[in-house]
Amino acid sequence: MIELEEGIRKGLRIIPIVDKEIRQLVRDPKTILMVLLMPITVTILFGYGYGGKGVGKYPITVVDLDGGDGAFKFIQELRNSKMFQIKAIYKSKGQGFSSVYSGKVYASLVIPETFTEDLMEGRPTRVELYYDASNPSVAQMIMQAVGVVTQQFQEWAASRFGTFAITPMFYTVYGPKIKKIESFIPTLMAMILQMVPTSLISVSICREREKGTFEQFIMTPVSVFDIIFGKLTAYFFATISDATLSLFTAVLLFDVKLKGTFLDMTIVSTVFLLNSLSLGLLISVFSKNQLQAYQASIFSFIIFMLFSGVFIPVDVLSTEAKMIASFVPMYYFVTAFRNVSLKGWSYLMVLDQLAVISMFTFAFLALSLRFLRMEVT
Amino acid sequence: MLEARRLEEQPELAVEAKDLTKRFGKFVAVDHINLEIRRGENFGLLGPNGAGKTTTIRMITGVIKPSEGYVKVFGIDVAKERKKVLKYIGYMPQKFSLYEDLTVEENIRLYGRLQGLTGSLLRERVRELLERFYLWEFRRRLAGKLSGGMKQRLALATALVHDPALLILDEPTAGVDPPLRRKFWEHFRELNKEGKTILVTTHYMDEAENCDRLALMNRGRIIAEGTPREIKRRALGGDLVEIVFEGHLDPTALPGVKSVLEDSRERYLLIVEDAGKDLPRIVKKAEELGAKILVASPVHVSLEEAFIRFMGESE
Ligand SMILES: Nc1ncnc2c1ncn2[C@@H]1O[C@H](COP(=O)(O)OP(=O)(O)OP(=O)(O)O)[C@@H](O)[C@H]1O
Ligand SMILES: [Mg+2]
Repeated sequence: MIELEEGIRKGLRIIPIVDKEIRQLVRDPKTILMVLLMPITVTILFGYGYGGKGVGKYPITVVDLDGGDGAFKFIQELRNSKMFQIKAIYKSKGQGFSSVYSGKVYASLVIPETFTEDLMEGRPTRVELYYDASNPSVAQMIMQAVGVVTQQFQEWAASRFGTFAITPMFYTVYGPKIKKIESFIPTLMAMILQMVPTSLISVSICREREKGTFEQFIMTPVSVFDIIFGKLTAYFFATISDATLSLFTAVLLFDVKLKGTFLDMTIVSTVFLLNSLSLGLLISVFSKNQLQAYQASIFSFIIFMLFSGVFIPVDVLSTEAKMIASFVPMYYFVTAFRNVSLKGWSYLMVLDQLAVISMFTFAFLALSLRFLRMEVT
Repeated sequence: MLEARRLEEQPELAVEAKDLTKRFGKFVAVDHINLEIRRGENFGLLGPNGAGKTTTIRMITGVIKPSEGYVKVFGIDVAKERKKVLKYIGYMPQKFSLYEDLTVEENIRLYGRLQGLTGSLLRERVRELLERFYLWEFRRRLAGKLSGGMKQRLALATALVHDPALLILDEPTAGVDPPLRRKFWEHFRELNKEGKTILVTTHYMDEAENCDRLALMNRGRIIAEGTPREIKRRALGGDLVEIVFEGHLDPTALPGVKSVLEDSRERYLLIVEDAGKDLPRIVKKAEELGAKILVASPVHVSLEEAFIRFMGESE
């Protein structure tokens, strides 16, 4: 009975520590900048850099074979609709077709040779839309939007030139299945889940040591375990929210399509996040001050990035580099997360990678707990 | 509190240190010291910079482990059963150790919660401390934005959050202006009255006069111990008295005189065994010898002087 009571009170002691950590985190503008702004900025930059597409305005190309006033007016109408962002106007179908095929835009609209003439003569005519079928929901939206614009154009033309019909014709093209923006997601997650928690926790522990705040802290009945567990919990939640937020930014802003379920992605992320946190603990053990801790975090992050296959696939690396990669937890995470998020695998299919990551986690934790000293010097 | 009441059945000594030693590599920061602090007293630990006061205190609070010897707090060995001892100790470190990015109230609350206080008990305690130490109107201010004096008040309030029976204060008045220093010592006296034991270090000798007992440390050793009066007596080898007279007098012929400190024609500064007993005898004897005594009174010796004498001796 007594033991149980002790246990409950002990459990509760972590709550004030988590509370304190979150308050401190929220109050530190530099940290906020790093934790929140950095990943989202990177998401947005990469999103645009990798040809991500904004919602609302669908990037398309137009092939103007007609070259007359009618075509000009129609393109104007497309622009006015505010639903399209016209990336280029070509003179040949081939260019339009390849702009869709390469994944640069979602669709290409072709205005046929006799468009203006047909309009003036009051003959029925058509526009052709070549759309990327690998992205069905976007394709749907574009077809609707083109339909609406065509309808409006037809009404205007009818009042001026007499009755006739403009029929939109739809043709499918298969663009690259996974676009660059999607393939960037595992990299983005690896960045957030590695750099943010590792530097947060190592800097936070070093700051306490530097400022001497442990001296008061350890006068309370909290144990080293409570302190570490409290910090782990606080930074775990901070990072998870950060990662979720960045992912949503990518999904909403750039229309990223992920096949993985939320559960699978969360499980894989959590396993890796725990690894990053324990690495942060380890760094704090061997760092003398906040600056060292921060530098060590960044340094390990860079090494991890280089050997995790996000820039250069590990398969093409030299044997030595492959060896190094096999000691980089991020490598296993990127592999696992890629399969889960892009190919839609279940976390059960990447258990091997998760097991390796967890082995590293336990090694880091064991080392930290062995050497971490809360004693003042 | 309940804990404090239970202590009443426990030993007379709040702190007992035996052969307490701390080495940092080859350097001996604290060298086989023995300390006995009685329950309810205000015990001052004095000494120049680097004497080993903070190191001693850190061993008493169990923040660092002794290289040799032991400390018991209320009879409990600190190194062996630190957890048990913590609830009896309130500690105010020499360096401000609270969170500068938390507010005054948040700091006290945090420590209250870490000590196991919850709900209305916690709220009440926090409020009480904020009011008692004049922090109420600053409760929403970040601790890092406080003045030196306010920081010290906050640290004291935080040290008291769990109503400890022993308060260990490492230079609580460093960087505090004189009126506030006086206020601090009033607080200490109040706390003593409540039955708390206080161990305090200071560099201000005028403050040290207020302690019940003192220990003087130098280079890791205790070179003197006792009440302020005892310490002064020991420094001089007796009490200091002043005699002004008319006529002729040989000071060594007077009773109880141990030495002559100053001899300036018709005025002597003498060290006697015991001023209370010896002064009347001196007056009597002097008059027998035909001198007319104009003044015969004990002279106030400052602790500072006693301190400096001891330091000189121990060099
Ligand atoms: N962690 C440590 N490592 C090495 N030497 C130390 C350590 N802590 C203290 N010392 C040394 O031990 C000696 C005693 O230091 P301590 O802080 O106990 O002195 P103090 O009496 O509190 O001095 P002050 O009045 O300046 O606070 C000093 O010479 C100090 O340099
Ligand atoms: Mg000191």
